[in-house]
Amino acid sequence: MATSDDIRRMSDELARDPGSRVFVPLGDVLRRQGQYDIALKMALKGLERHPHLVEGHDLLARLYVDRGEFEKGFDEWDMVLRLSPGHLGALKGLGFICYQHERFADAERYLSAAARIDPADAEVASALEHVQAGHLQAARAGETPLPASIAADSRFLFVDVLREDGQTALLLDQQGLVLAGAYFNADGVDVAQNVGAELSGVTDAARRATRHLALGDWSSIVFETEVAVVAMAPAPSDGLLVLATTRETPLGLVRRLLDRCSEHAARWLRGLI
Amino acid sequence: MAGVFTPMLQAIGRHRGVTAALVVDERDGIVVESHLHVGVEEDRVAALAASLYRKARLSSRAAGMGAVSFMQLEAPGGRLCAIGAAELVLIVVAQPSVNVGLVRVEMLRSIARLVEAGGGA
Repeated sequence: MATSDDIRRMSDELARDPGSRVFVPLGDVLRRQGQYDIALKMALKGLERHPHLVEGHDLLARLYVDRGEFEKGFDEWDMVLRLSPGHLGALKGLGFICYQHERFADAERYLSAAARIDPADAEVASALEHVQAGHLQAARAGETPLPASIAADSRFLFVDVLREDGQTALLLDQQGLVLAGAYFNADGVDVAQNVGAELSGVTDAARRATRHLALGDWSSIVFETEVAVVAMAPAPSDGLLVLATTRETPLGLVRRLLDRCSEHAARWLRGLI
Repeated sequence: MAGVFTPMLQAIGRHRGVTAALVVDERDGIVVESHLHVGVEEDRVAALAASLYRKARLSSRAAGMGAVSFMQLEAPGGRLCAIGAAELVLIVVAQPSVNVGLVRVEMLRSIARLVEAGGGA
């Protein structure tokens, strides 16, 4: 337990040398004392000087989680894993966040990886048990995501996001080829490749229009057709996300679904799903 | 001199954030009538927006989704909305802050006028 002398000593050191890495232990002490705002400012400032400091990102992730900002916490721990694959704290943290959001399969994946790294960690073992129990409970309640064979099939990437009938999404690469998602016609045939190829042509016209009209890079296109509402957004690596919903779907909801699918696709492309 | 679309274009142009409202021939992108704020390049907007709408319409049909009615493009610098009938396209350019719901309703109301002027559906 850090004493007030320790805090003073670390604060003095940071005041003398703003580039010091002491912001990490000092921020952690302040976090434990519940002084989240001060600790957060300190961590953000420290990371400006040390953007690749693993323990700095770990501290920031913990602070975000303490403040209930799970999404930001997730991103920070994700960064930690990029900088330091197999980082135990990040794996545990990501497992915790996924558990909080009832993403049991993901939580199990992270915690299992943590348990492999440190089999003696009783905290991880206990968390893993909780997650597995939660997963089982959700499965019994019929809320479990999908069997592994289906979850691994990229055609079903968006089923967790699009739960209503008549909603479907496609992720296309820069050549207009389908990376993930499916589009079934009235006969039950997957025509994703044709639909994707045809619709991806619209983006060239959109790019040309926004460039010449100085509107900036286009962020979404929505058009209402006789049978569907189609929404498109740029995806990473010059890809394209195409969402189709029924005509009855309110346009505001279409926009939200498009955002959620975009986030989901980005995570999948980063290997997080 | 007031044209056949003048009241319609003026009504749309009165919405806060709208910088241009034009009726364009979809085939060649030529302006039929317009209501513009100062500084908007009429011909350029007409040609590009009509081309985009045409592409969306053709792509939608080829993808088996039928005819396109309303289309909206969003970008940091503004929005481009289009609705078409009888080879005429009503195009609206607006700032990002525009109430697109209101503009859309106004544009959907204008469909009948486009059909009438274009000589059929």
